[in-house]
Amino acid sequence: MTAADESLISNAGAAETPAASSADVVAELARQFGDGAVTPQTTLTGMPVIWVPRDRLRDVLVYLRDVSRPFSMLYDLSAVDERLRTHRRGLPPSDFTVFYQLLSVERNADILLKVALAERDLSLPSVSDIFVNANWYEREVFDLFGIDFAGHPHLTRIMMPPTWHGHPLRKDYSARATEFDPYTLTVKGQEVEQEALRFDPEAWGMQRQGEETEFMFLNLGPNHPSAHGAFRIVLQLDGEEVVDCVPDIGYHHRGAEKMAERQSWHSFIPYTDRIDYTGGVMNNLPYVMAVEKLAGITVTDRAKTIRVMMAEMFRINSHLLFLGTYLQDLGAMTPVFFTFTDRQKAYEVIEAITGFRMHPAWYRIGGTAHDLPKGWDKLVQGFVDWMPKRLAEYEKAMMDNAIVRDRTKHVAAFTTQEALDWGVTGPNLRATGLDFDLRKKRPYSGYENFDFEVPTAVNGDAFDRGMMRIEEMRQSVRILQQCVDHMPAGDYKADHPLTTPPPREKMLQHIETLITHFLQVSWGPVLPANESLQMVEATKGINSYYLTSDGSTMSYRTRIRTPSFPHLQQIPAVMRGGFVPDLIAHLGSIDFVMADVDR
Amino acid sequence: MQYTLTRAEGGESAADRYPLDQRQRVDDPMSEQVHRNLFMGKLEDVLSSAVNWGRKNSLWPYNFGLSCCYVEMTTAFTAPHDVARFGAEVIRASPRQADFMVIAGTCFIKMAPVIQQLYDQMLEPKWVISMGSCANSGGMYDIYSVVQGVDKFLPIDVYVPGCPPRPEAFLQGLQLLQDSIQEERRPLSWVVGDQGVYRAEMPSQREKHRDRRIAATELRTPDSI
Repeated sequence: MTAADESLISNAGAAETPAASSADVVAELARQFGDGAVTPQTTLTGMPVIWVPRDRLRDVLVYLRDVSRPFSMLYDLSAVDERLRTHRRGLPPSDFTVFYQLLSVERNADILLKVALAERDLSLPSVSDIFVNANWYEREVFDLFGIDFAGHPHLTRIMMPPTWHGHPLRKDYSARATEFDPYTLTVKGQEVEQEALRFDPEAWGMQRQGEETEFMFLNLGPNHPSAHGAFRIVLQLDGEEVVDCVPDIGYHHRGAEKMAERQSWHSFIPYTDRIDYTGGVMNNLPYVMAVEKLAGITVTDRAKTIRVMMAEMFRINSHLLFLGTYLQDLGAMTPVFFTFTDRQKAYEVIEAITGFRMHPAWYRIGGTAHDLPKGWDKLVQGFVDWMPKRLAEYEKAMMDNAIVRDRTKHVAAFTTQEALDWGVTGPNLRATGLDFDLRKKRPYSGYENFDFEVPTAVNGDAFDRGMMRIEEMRQSVRILQQCVDHMPAGDYKADHPLTTPPPREKMLQHIETLITHFLQVSWGPVLPANESLQMVEATKGINSYYLTSDGSTMSYRTRIRTPSFPHLQQIPAVMRGGFVPDLIAHLGSIDFVMADVDR
Repeated sequence: MQYTLTRAEGGESAADRYPLDQRQRVDDPMSEQVHRNLFMGKLEDVLSSAVNWGRKNSLWPYNFGLSCCYVEMTTAFTAPHDVARFGAEVIRASPRQADFMVIAGTCFIKMAPVIQQLYDQMLEPKWVISMGSCANSGGMYDIYSVVQGVDKFLPIDVYVPGCPPRPEAFLQGLQLLQDSIQEERRPLSWVVGDQGVYRAEMPSQREKHRDRRIAATELRTPDSI
């Protein structure tokens, strides 16, 4: 760890409240760039939202990156097609708005910058030289919105096939596959598509020849056993050494953000389950909490605690899947059988409580789908009693194994600063030594009431990332125990007109409440026009939903920021100079699922 | 029993659509044989049954997964569900060594040509299980990037419903595939007999279980475990 990292960590400990520092940063910006350059917008996102002119964008970003107690992470970058938005009073005129969310660990605060663009001039300066991880985000905006980024090193499609026409997230692009001609695959079409996927090293500025050797280009994926799904990475090899590599994503793009624009606020919940598909209800949490912010719903303590309990069940479940497959990628066959046996135990609890295994879609706007069943505490207690000895066994039998250590120690290591530069969050960030865990730093859903620790490691290598998961499972088990011991009494649903579906006893009282119920399940609830955002510490890192409501039954724009997307973007920076087996170890240690990358 | 005859066509042109082979409905080819020559018919029946018995009990799956369903498929391969009971635990990383592939997950337009290529690389005899709503029909993803059912270009033998199906559902799908393999009529050699592949038309599970399912009127409440 470098000296810079040390200071970063000690500063992070003395973080102040987000509200106090957010007022500073707007004042700082106004002082630096003049009042005319920054236009604040009032939202429910919980952070300052500022419109900046296009020609000042780069200056503002550089300033925020280099200011004392800097905003060192570009947390998210995407766009909104504003052409059909009706509730825009007080906002600068804009057809397409590109937004940049920056995160400061020292301030424990965020800032959202927005840039307005006119339809006839959809171009922006690229910021990929200021924040390295802007590269993929800008490609995504180019692909899905057709906005140009001048000076981008490789502005090509990233989600859709290279042969695609149109930009799906524009409002004039149809959402449904059934609105297009039925899909057919011809012999010719097959050849054309496969040819379009052929890797061209020159297009990426790669040499085919080294000084003494000719490089080999190895295509790994889109179907490869250690790629954990439809993920492709092209390696430039000098013997076993990875000279460079190019990850290629988009083979798992389910258009979840577009889907949100045609599902009601309520009926989008099942789609969130399938974003990080090993995370189950953990995905519901940021979404329903963001919707509740828009609706102004205060959730009961019981509902909050039930949500925390189920989210932590899924964290354990996801980490168990990680541990099994991570070790399997390293060549160990047995661990996967052990961890999947534990997952079966977890599913017995999850199934008894929610009625489903992987995707329960169990949280509701204002609470949960139903109350905990009778006897839930015995089930959870059984699981809590079962896990610790298994975790001890995993640590002893697997992580102390000499082969596992040799394969992973000091492999694919990165520092805290590098992690922040690339937007890495979650256990992968904490493995570098920084204790940035939203459950502690910005407690939500009642996490402030729980007694648990944030495990960290030192080296930030593939081994530490594996150990982090075991430690996190221990902490999650602690949280589960506290849920069993101190589950609050009360309602599992908030008593609020926008709770969907409304409490059943209310629905049966008189015709008014029956009508409300009918409208909510047929049309869906109507949420006031505003913007809200909720971040949570999900299984793989920070996951957030940024919702824009235009006062309708559906979301106007739903931006889903997932942790795995930046984690994959970072691979070349970590792997250059490594060996092919190190790459496999690294892929195993990242813990990604492709739905969490491509959405 | 009714059969579907599939013949691989030799010459293909650029405009041909996948799946390429020709299909038609026919009667059981074995019954005709029996009428022509009792001894040869019986012999072929026994041989065919023996070969099918071997095939159905040593199905090697291709290690291929797309999304959520693959996690449940993998769960079926691990100790609590133990797919080895059905002789299908030998996962192959290469399509060339595999007997069947499970389309476990969403089939994307970007991924479809790749899936077709992998299917083409598998050697006959080969089968395909479509696992989960996305692979069956697009499911809840009626969206621009998703193929509305993998049978738009691949021939499917068994559809397993669910989003995702439980591991037990996958195992049932596997057993249904085994049942159908037992009834298949394939050429015993490349020089013996008709070279077409006759697949039995197996009874619809939905119709088979319909009466029992609609008889259930009292559903358990979720208030107790």
